Amino acid sequence: MTLRKATLIVLAWNRWDLTRKCLDTLKATDLSGAEVIVVDNGSTDETPQALKAYSWARVITNPSNLGFVRGNNIGIVAADPDSDVVLLNNDLEFRQNDWLQRLRACAQAVPDAGIIGCRLRLPDGRLLHAGTFIVPDTMWGQQIGSLEKDFGQYSVTREVEGIVFACAYIKRELIAKIGGLSEDFQSYFEDTDYCLQARRAGFQTLLCGDVTLVHDEHGSTQGDGAHFDHIFQESREAFRKKWHKSLDSRYTHEVFWQSIMNFPTGYAMSCRELLRALDQLGVRATYRYAYGPKTPFYLLEPESSGDYLMEVIRGRHEPRRPPLSVVYGQGDVFWRNRGHRKVGFTMLEVDGFPKDWVAEANKMDEVWVPTEFNRQGFLSSGLKRPIHRIPLGVDSNYFHPGIQGFPNPTGEFVFVSNFEWGERKEPWLLLKTFNDEFSSEEPVRLLCKIINVDPMKSIRNEINKLQLKATGGKISFLLNREFPHYQLGAFYRSGDCFISAGRGEGWDMPLMEAMACGLSTIATDWGAHTEFAHDGICFPLKVRKTIPAVAKCPYYEGFSWADPDPEHLRFLLRYIFEHQDEAKAKGAAAAREMAEKWTWRHAAAKIIARMEALAG
Amino acid sequence: MVMAESASAEEVARLEARVAKLERLLADRSRVLRSLARGLCEEDLVTLSRLESGLPPLLRSDAGSLVWRDTTRLTSADVERTMTALWRAVAPFHGADEE
Repeated sequence: MTLRKATLIVLAWNRWDLTRKCLDTLKATDLSGAEVIVVDNGSTDETPQALKAYSWARVITNPSNLGFVRGNNIGIVAADPDSDVVLLNNDLEFRQNDWLQRLRACAQAVPDAGIIGCRLRLPDGRLLHAGTFIVPDTMWGQQIGSLEKDFGQYSVTREVEGIVFACAYIKRELIAKIGGLSEDFQSYFEDTDYCLQARRAGFQTLLCGDVTLVHDEHGSTQGDGAHFDHIFQESREAFRKKWHKSLDSRYTHEVFWQSIMNFPTGYAMSCRELLRALDQLGVRATYRYAYGPKTPFYLLEPESSGDYLMEVIRGRHEPRRPPLSVVYGQGDVFWRNRGHRKVGFTMLEVDGFPKDWVAEANKMDEVWVPTEFNRQGFLSSGLKRPIHRIPLGVDSNYFHPGIQGFPNPTGEFVFVSNFEWGERKEPWLLLKTFNDEFSSEEPVRLLCKIINVDPMKSIRNEINKLQLKATGGKISFLLNREFPHYQLGAFYRSGDCFISAGRGEGWDMPLMEAMACGLSTIATDWGAHTEFAHDGICFPLKVRKTIPAVAKCPYYEGFSWADPDPEHLRFLLRYIFEHQDEAKAKGAAAAREMAEKWTWRHAAAKIIARMEALAG
Repeated sequence: MVMAESASAEEVARLEARVAKLERLLADRSRVLRSLARGLCEEDLVTLSRLESGLPPLLRSDAGSLVWRDTTRLTSADVERTMTALWRAVAPFHGADEE
């Protein structure tokens, strides 16, 4: 397959130190099938003189600084009219030899692609950019993944709303259709504008996940802050006038969403992800906190999440009587639903639902639960309203087998578990069984990440009570360490097999995330997670019977949960340790299935289908 | 006698300077320890103290040798730093030759 020629356009304005590093590192990469043009945008430092030594690049000298847009357009006009074009900032550094060939291949592989960008990393190793999106309410562009530690997130090629044009591969077909960058902008917003123009013309913007360049951001615009702020504000206003109506029209549905967002709970994490996915699919959500005074969780919610999109959704004007409101939380806050049409969306870890939840649920227009397990539980507890399954999901950008872990350097096989200490997770079963089954001489270890916030409970005492043997299987503990959610994939990838051997689950997000990361998994064969964990992709742990759910949680009273079989757990631990290739293959199959069937986008699509049905 | 007094004064000055230097070192050391105590868990402090005394670190968190601090307070943590520290504690001498 012959790839089309690419003309690389490096725009430079002063800062020869950066331009030199850019060109020197660029030259060291595979530039076959490419021509390089350097557009010197009227530099007044040593740039014009120094460029004379770079005879392998064609130099175009502008008499003065024409700005980012006109400078690049001059390069586009000068490029071979049959070639694709790659716009490059002079503050880039090239450490990946095949970056250009990968971008060319990506451009060729997707016929509808018009623009292809790449991951950008800061010199200190943090991720800077994996695509962009703009929030219509504020016209404030956001860089996806920005300032996160780089563990390999967003390494799959995907469609995005925009990219920053520090590196932009633009196909000739697109240039032929819409021309160069819009000169309505001097700098800033021209890249998002161009991507939106491309979309309007029928072209996709892609982020090529297997190319990463280093970007010393704004290397050429540091210095006169007031001047650049002025340019930024002018460009933003021009952009707002041009695109506001069009961007706002991408919202085709509306929902009032009452839940929890800014606490470290499973509902809060999944609430954020559902709202993000709904936004991407054109749902304009307005959020309000469902808990607080007069509810079982009386605390007021912290105002800031540090997540720009969530703060916009939270700050939107509250409709007087929302046409549709979803309360996503425990059933005993359904009464707070303020919608004309009311949906209660909940889950529970046992085989039924408390009477007061059912009474509240019967006042809803319909009820959503993530699983068939919970649907049956609600119906058997007396629910009379329609009930639908709306699954939760996983973010396959952050949870996939390419995420970098930090494995045990001794090469021991590592079983991982992640749980809150308590009756439902039944940790003593796992600790005792593992410690009994293995000896300390064997190259295997169990790593338990434990959370305990109960002041009446001492984890040290609890573990001491188990009388684990020093000669038995080795166990390491991480107690009450809270990792940022985006880093959890790196934690799972530090182990080999994930274990969820508890008595009941409402969904089991850690299990799903570990599966998406490609770990082999052991999971109790009972409860909500059987919705997505089956023996083709997981090692189900047999259950002896169901037993009364006795725990501190009042919601469980009168219901049952599982009694996992210790002998079968012992068997599975040994089997996986001795059949690591088979376990790995199951883990790989699980990762594929999670990415194909169980993302937040799938969940949001099901919500939209129900919203449309409810609207009649 | 004059010579002896002079020698004694010199000695006192030398000792005073030494005491001042030791006090400075002690203050610096206390500051470092206070900041370590704020940032590290009990387990890390034990390991640090043992290493500084020339002793090998205790095998961390293995069954039967629980030395970590029992707490109900959640602590923000970074996966890379946590896992690197954990594995180093589990096998303190693994890969030492390469470092």
